[in-house]
Amino acid sequence: MDMSTVLEKQQARLKWLQHSCMMTNPNDYSLQSDSMPHLHGFFDNGDNVHLERQPETFLGSSDFSIGGSGLVANDKMGLVRTDVAAHSTEIYYCLSRTSSCQVGIELGEAARMEEDVALMEGTQSDNQRDSSNKRKAEYFAAEEFKGQVEVQSKVKEKTSTEISADSCKKNHKTSEVRKPDYIHVRARRGQATDSHSLAERARREKISKKMKCLQELVPGCNKITGRAGLLDEIINYIQSLQRQVEFLSMKLAAFAPRQELNADNFSGKEYLASFPTATISPGVINMSQPEHNLVQEEAGANNPTEAAPERTASSSGFIHELCLDSSCFSQVQPFWKPDSQDLHNMGFHKG
Amino acid sequence: MRAPQSLKQEFLKKWMVGLQLCESTNQNMSILERKKAIKLSADIAMASTRNGMTCWSRALVAKTSTDFGNKVLVDNILLASQSEKLKNKRTIIRRKKILRKSHRARKARGGRVVARSLAKEMVKKRTQVLKSLVPGGEFMDDVSLIEETLDYIVSLRAQVDVMRTLAKATELMNGK
Repeated sequence: MDMSTVLEKQQARLKWLQHSCMMTNPNDYSLQSDSMPHLHGFFDNGDNVHLERQPETFLGSSDFSIGGSGLVANDKMGLVRTDVAAHSTEIYYCLSRTSSCQVGIELGEAARMEEDVALMEGTQSDNQRDSSNKRKAEYFAAEEFKGQVEVQSKVKEKTSTEISADSCKKNHKTSEVRKPDYIHVRARRGQATDSHSLAERARREKISKKMKCLQELVPGCNKITGRAGLLDEIINYIQSLQRQVEFLSMKLAAFAPRQELNADNFSGKEYLASFPTATISPGVINMSQPEHNLVQEEAGANNPTEAAPERTASSSGFIHELCLDSSCFSQVQPFWKPDSQDLHNMGFHKG
Repeated sequence: MRAPQSLKQEFLKKWMVGLQLCESTNQNMSILERKKAIKLSADIAMASTRNGMTCWSRALVAKTSTDFGNKVLVDNILLASQSEKLKNKRTIIRRKKILRKSHRARKARGGRVVARSLAKEMVKKRTQVLKSLVPGGEFMDDVSLIEETLDYIVSLRAQVDVMRTLAKATELMNGK
């Protein structure tokens, strides 16, 4: 029911359009430009560019009628039509969006087109035929834009002989001209093709590309599909990194008072020599108990997240050091022994 | 993107400058103060490796310098580490914001709607969390947020690596 009413509406619209086309004299530009706004009121898509382009189309069509040579006019029309068709797709999308069943409408449209074409073939002059061609070209463009290469359209081409053959050529021409604009942003079936939607789609593609980069960057993220999971993983990773920074700064703070760095021991590591070593206040060594607990907790919280065994060893060594300092847990054995080999390995040369 | 090697070295250099400044300004600190100072200087150094080209680094500097006590320190570190760079580098990348119009609520059928909206909701929630994690993320749109996150992760990694190496080195020294 819904579909049929929409179909009727569309038919009425297009018939009215056709009628107005017949009424207008191809050589009278002023009359045409007057009638154009009404036309666009029917199209109901407030597109200024479309409005501006329309007189040009008719200018081209008048050329066509005067010159009489189809090929020249076709070339001219082709140029204009690239613009017109691009906007007319919007119209068709507007129409199809209102309908509940898209394909049904298209079938109906196809049938109606056939009727129109047949009617025009019999009665009308070059100009009207051209206008019908234009509409047809629009229709074809809309079809192709959706990526539907339908058998139905092929059949239609066969049935409406001369005009459809003519318009088919034009249609291919227009599609060829327009193709380069949409190579990077493809519109699949049922997707909108107005500029906002295209921009939105481009933005989404950009986001997904960046997401892929992130996926490569964050470890253990290769198998995850879906944006939510990926974001979860990224959040966890950032949090763990931030926590590590926190922990490491704490660790360094704990070590800083007692350290006696010797530049000779770290040959080739100039950065360690520049580490501030001079300010060693003996008062800080006697750490208060709550602070110590805090450090231990932090270390304990970080230990499970660490996969590398050397890391856990070092942090437990750290705890051990602290324990010895406060002489609370003297039973802990010093299982981690500093190795000079280790020292050489741990530089930035590892990467 | 630069090699991580050079990034680390640059970070380390700046961090050292910051640490020296910290030490010189405040002679005897408690361990927590010391930790705070170390973390602050590390953060600032990390941010300054980017020369204010990224949003997150600028936001980080701004955030740390809002605290009055930190402000002096931050200024000092930035001045000491890259005074000449700050003068030169005033080019800030401005990203074109895609004007997004509120899209019309599209009608879809059946259970799909629920699933889709659920997924959207999940993504939105996580994006919010991510925004709170990345410095300055509250003011970014989706695209730039992800770009900044990428950059932020790279520098965080470098920071962690350097700090870990340093911690290990000091530990080794103390162990002997």
